[in-house]
Amino acid sequence: MKDIREDIAWAKINKDVLGSLENPRKLYWVILFCAFAAFGVGIGCEVYQYQTGLGVANLNNPHAWGLYISTFIFWIGMSHSGTLLSAILHLMHADWRKPIYRFAEAMTTFSLMTAGLFVMVHIGRLWQFYYSLPYPDERGIWPNFQSPLLWDAMAIFTYLSSSILFLYVGMIPDLAICRDNMHEGWRKKLYTLLSLGWEGTDRQWRNFRVTYLTIACFLIPLAVSVHSIVAADFAMSQQPGWHVTSFPPYFVAGALYSGCSGIITLFIILRYVFKFEEYMTLSILKKIVRLTFAIAMVWTYLNAVEFASVWYSSDQASKDILIQKATGTYAPFWWGMIFCGSIVPLTLAFKRAQTSIPMLFAVSLLLNLGMWLERWMIIAPTFSHGYYPWTWDHDQWPSLVQWGMVFGSFGWFTMLFMVFCKVFPSVSMYEVKEMVYHRSLHLKKSETAEQGAP
Amino acid sequence: MSVNNLLENWSQFRHFHPVDDKPHDPYKWAMSIDLDACTGCNACSVACYAENNLPVVGKEKYAHGQAMHWIRIERYWDEDDREFPDQGAQFLPMMCQQCEAAPCETVCPVAATNHTADGLNSQVYNRCIGSRYCSANCPYKVRYFNWYDYPSDDNVWPAEMNQQLNPDVTVRGKGVMEKCTFCVQRLHAAKGTARSEGRIVRDGEVQTACQQACPASAISFGNLVDPESRVHKQWQAQQVALDKDVQTKDKEEGGSELRGYRIFEELRPYPSVMYLERVRESAV
Amino acid sequence: MMNSGFDRRDFLKMLGWGGVAVALNGCGNTSVDDGKETVVSYVETNDYMIPSISTYFNSTCAQCDAGCNITGRIREGRVLKLDGNPDSAINRGKTCGLGQAGVQHHYNPDRVREPLLRKGGQGEAITWEKAYALIAEKLNGVSGEEIAFLTGGVSGHLKVLLGNYLDSFGCKNHFVYEAIAPAVLRAANKKSYGVEMPRFNINKAKVVLSFGADFLGAWVSPVHFSQQYAQFRKGVDGQRGVLIQVESKMTLTGANADRWVVVRPGTEGILALGIINALGIATGDIAAAVKGYDKARVSKETGVPPGQIDKIAALLKLRSPSLVLAGSAAEGYAHGSQNAAAINLLNQVLGNVGKTVEAAAVVPFPQMAPATGNTAALKTLNDGLNAGKYKVLFSYAANPVFTAPGAMKFKDSMAKAGFRVAFAHYLDETAMQADLVLPLDSALEDWGTQVPEYMAEGAQINIQQPLMEKLHANTRGMGDILLALIKLRHTEEYKKFDDYYAYLRTAVLQNKGALGGGVADDDTFWNETLSKGIIKPAGSSHVLSGNATAAGLSLPASAAIDAQYPLQLIPSVSASLRDGRHTNQPWLQESPDPLTTIVWDSWVEIHPKKAAELRIEEGDIVEVTGKNGSIKAQAYLFPGIHPDAISIPLGRGHEALGRYAKGYGVNPFQILDAVFDKETGELALHETRVKVSKTGQRFIVVKDEGVAGGMQMGRKIAVRVSSDKVRLSEEV
Repeated sequence: MKDIREDIAWAKINKDVLGSLENPRKLYWVILFCAFAAFGVGIGCEVYQYQTGLGVANLNNPHAWGLYISTFIFWIGMSHSGTLLSAILHLMHADWRKPIYRFAEAMTTFSLMTAGLFVMVHIGRLWQFYYSLPYPDERGIWPNFQSPLLWDAMAIFTYLSSSILFLYVGMIPDLAICRDNMHEGWRKKLYTLLSLGWEGTDRQWRNFRVTYLTIACFLIPLAVSVHSIVAADFAMSQQPGWHVTSFPPYFVAGALYSGCSGIITLFIILRYVFKFEEYMTLSILKKIVRLTFAIAMVWTYLNAVEFASVWYSSDQASKDILIQKATGTYAPFWWGMIFCGSIVPLTLAFKRAQTSIPMLFAVSLLLNLGMWLERWMIIAPTFSHGYYPWTWDHDQWPSLVQWGMVFGSFGWFTMLFMVFCKVFPSVSMYEVKEMVYHRSLHLKKSETAEQGAP
Repeated sequence: MSVNNLLENWSQFRHFHPVDDKPHDPYKWAMSIDLDACTGCNACSVACYAENNLPVVGKEKYAHGQAMHWIRIERYWDEDDREFPDQGAQFLPMMCQQCEAAPCETVCPVAATNHTADGLNSQVYNRCIGSRYCSANCPYKVRYFNWYDYPSDDNVWPAEMNQQLNPDVTVRGKGVMEKCTFCVQRLHAAKGTARSEGRIVRDGEVQTACQQACPASAISFGNLVDPESRVHKQWQAQQVALDKDVQTKDKEEGGSELRGYRIFEELRPYPSVMYLERVRESAV
Repeated sequence: MMNSGFDRRDFLKMLGWGGVAVALNGCGNTSVDDGKETVVSYVETNDYMIPSISTYFNSTCAQCDAGCNITGRIREGRVLKLDGNPDSAINRGKTCGLGQAGVQHHYNPDRVREPLLRKGGQGEAITWEKAYALIAEKLNGVSGEEIAFLTGGVSGHLKVLLGNYLDSFGCKNHFVYEAIAPAVLRAANKKSYGVEMPRFNINKAKVVLSFGADFLGAWVSPVHFSQQYAQFRKGVDGQRGVLIQVESKMTLTGANADRWVVVRPGTEGILALGIINALGIATGDIAAAVKGYDKARVSKETGVPPGQIDKIAALLKLRSPSLVLAGSAAEGYAHGSQNAAAINLLNQVLGNVGKTVEAAAVVPFPQMAPATGNTAALKTLNDGLNAGKYKVLFSYAANPVFTAPGAMKFKDSMAKAGFRVAFAHYLDETAMQADLVLPLDSALEDWGTQVPEYMAEGAQINIQQPLMEKLHANTRGMGDILLALIKLRHTEEYKKFDDYYAYLRTAVLQNKGALGGGVADDDTFWNETLSKGIIKPAGSSHVLSGNATAAGLSLPASAAIDAQYPLQLIPSVSASLRDGRHTNQPWLQESPDPLTTIVWDSWVEIHPKKAAELRIEEGDIVEVTGKNGSIKAQAYLFPGIHPDAISIPLGRGHEALGRYAKGYGVNPFQILDAVFDKETGELALHETRVKVSKTGQRFIVVKDEGVAGGMQMGRKIAVRVSSDKVRLSEEV
């Protein structure tokens, strides 16, 4: 299988990557247009909901939460693999991550931003959202530090700011390359500003390495904690189906899972749209696919653990919800989740599937569908079938307004992501160069060794 | 909650059992509802609409489960597959149970729902941002959210009808959570009167709207720490203690001759509403 | 509470200012801008009115005829809430949901505000002068025979004044029509006990055996009975009362029974005789009459298992006193009177008369006693209208176009009257057919006296007084209108009364002695009366005189199943909507039906077994067809109904009335057959036979209960205990 060529010239790397900032394939514009349109739908829905009240989402008592929270968790989950690739694999010196970590990190940032929007969309009085922030005010009123939702807000905010920092810091050497090669215009000014006078001196490189490593170390526990805290929203509550000890690892696994499959999807799109076939090679894809497969199995295992612990517990209410999930109104979705999340990834075990782009594209979409369903199946059944039978409600479905905003969020994410990839180098030039250099060094060594041993 | 609470007096701020180390003094509002007297007539519910400015949401919104009845009457059938319900039905008025360890309070991100010194679970409309976490965590599902802006709805309080609104009670706009308050406006007025006379509120001096209307007087309400109050006597007679999650009756299954119980005691929210079991005649 | 010693009129004037100020905020009234009225600051109010402090005034609830005494909470000149008057023997400070909604009647946005004269299809607003002149003109040259005055139940001074008015042209055609009154019961009671409405002491009974009397819901005086019921449950001598309810469709009372006995529709009387037989304590002609009603036969005809009959009889024998009640479910048949008589006989046999059935107190002014009526009166009116007998028809406090059985085609009959005047709060179906609609004050704006039909303890006359200034400038009290009309005929006699208030005051003060005024001066007595809201005259009691006899009792066996119309239609009376006059009060529309928890719509109750047979599921829109038409409504599977019966609640299905009533649900009155009780001529409400067919449509039923229905799923929410496991006497 073809990997990145060891003899690829540094100038060519620059040229190829910088080319992505100029002339992507036509499909890029099609995607961008669709993203804008979808985002427009989302905006329209939010304006309507803001004006009229949350009732238009067809939420009710008991269905106090709906797709907004489900999709919020989904996007939080999406963010995790960026960190996995860029930070964890960085520390583990896995060099295959180098051509792809940049866009993965961008995915992290943008999906976190998308997730944040859902919190806004979800609350009843958007105009008072700042009450949830711990700012000092003269009446001495603070948010409730006991509430997992507040931890959530803080964790996400921290994670988002760190991710942005991490993404930005890692980009500085590349921004300098852009600055040096870009024709005059607003972009050149932008790169000049952002590259902070990078010249590639030894001292700069040393400081850069230390900074980058520090942030990476900081980010890893954060990534794990963020989704654990999201899990705490549920696990810390008293509701049947939520009050589950295994939720934090389960959520983290789910997050990595959906993130990895998201990376596969975007990998395939970017590779085509920006003509990155040279860098985003199938051998890298294969590694991600294997990673995804492994995580899928972890997730499946944790699912089984959850079901078993509910089934063999004496908590009848939780058990009823599990039965309801498997046999009730939500059964098609629940089984859909099991199918997409646990059965579909089995195809990834086959070598041929690991490099078949059309197939992987389809599979990765299915996996993400499964993971979205998983989040919905955490939320909706508990509300519809909670402790209090009198208020059981299996007939309420999310209204078009809710669906519209879920749809719009994909537009918003894609829009941000696509604009980012067009404005900033989505493949890390300097790290690909490092990778190529190290590999060619290695190659030379082995060649010398071969020649030296007659 | 303030930073001081966090740094200095956290242990006092959230009690494991609020009554353990800090008894309510001089008030702890509580209720007891005799299901043997309750006829399920709904008078309490309508009285609540009248007293607390509850919006009538209309058929369509009711169909979407967006009704705002702070107190609802539930009707249960016997679950034994008989052809006819020959032992009648069972009615249960359900409203906010004003839990002592309320699941809704801890989860609110902005501390909009709190415990008051007199043992109420209060809801601060001004502070509420509408995250609905409280409702999500309420085992009784007795919190009602303003899904729409009812004051501006043409059919909720049209001209003239709005003149009936109780000026002592806020009219809630869209996006906030609300629930039964034990008619806190009446409690405040009574406490004020009592304070100015240098005494505490006497039993029977203040009634909740539902209690006042109830034709069968099934609801009693009062100050649980006042040994003279009917509620106190009823709780005592039934050996139901506010801070226990297993009552005498639960220990002696079938043989206790007591009929006071609280719903979902095992979840340990320590509700302030005691129900008295409905009695069924054994002779027929 | 209002104390004596301040002038009521001043108070009202002052309220007027309050009202204006409120109107300014609320509805953009421009009379102040026009200079017609001025605004007086709250700072200058009279000393008995403090802004933000509530005042309380007593009056009488007019939502039904039970005559509960109420206390209105008034703040800044607006009535905010109604609660029971604790000094009332009837309701002792309590109210029902219907009573609570009284404020929504008053503030209803759909009230008629101007006198309306029909012009083509439209109502044109006219002045009162013009309206009175028009009535005078139409009555000119019309003999008393040609005038018909239709009213609902009226009592007190309004009844007196109305009588005087009708007398002024020798009119004898006062038709009193109550759509769902216990008319048959009255007649049966008269026979059995010598009085139409004795006192029923539920609280003194150890066993109550009720044949379809929904005394906790809509029967006679439900708030009063609910209190008695609570005492009854606490027990007499430490023994908790046992309630056995016999009926074909479960009522609210049935749902609260210890034993709910389902009986084949119409066979209640047979069961009563069967129980007498099983008791075996009857003698004389009664013993002879019940001899044929052995368990096997009774069980076969009623569908009640023989063991059940034995158990009931044994319990009645064991625990005394008991009380047997005959309710509307037993009366609503062609042999309804016979049913009621048989049931009353049970009371006689058990020796309850004089113990739990007692003579009621009587107000010493027979002319003020409530004029009770029934559908028989409406039938007479209807026949007269069809014969073209009436040139002028007045209608007050009744809505026959909505409530008359469909077979009567009252709407068409009404069109045959020359000139139709409706006194109305809303443009209801009857007012829509009128030529002239005269807008009435709400019960919270009007003066009046009322004598309840069911006297709880001592005799009482209820005072109705305004709780606030009129909301609308051009509505009038019924008393004021009658006074104005009567002045057109007897100017001299009545000119001393400026208004109905003056009339009322004079009338009450004239009888100060008999009304318990003693030696108090007029103003003191009057103010005290208004303050209390109740007059308790030294009344006498009727004497129960009926004797126990089974003479003339003949109960038909249940009718054979009609192949074409196999089901019996039971129109049910809901505690909050009654005959439909209150349907435009949104609290009542949104208050779930206690048994089905359905809101805002009608439904067809059908037993799950029957539904399975007909392949009907919940929410199916079914067509209910009888001989006199059909209606379509959603099906609700309800276990508390006889499989051969279906039930549709009354009160919904308005084509007029207002925004909260119009277009919601269906009106089962429309398809009722014109079958009448053989003795009293009252409409047999339960005698309509129907068939049910699916239309193919299905909707989700709008109701409060969730998908779990009435199941608790073992979660110990509403818990029950057997009576031998508790000691109620030791409870607080």
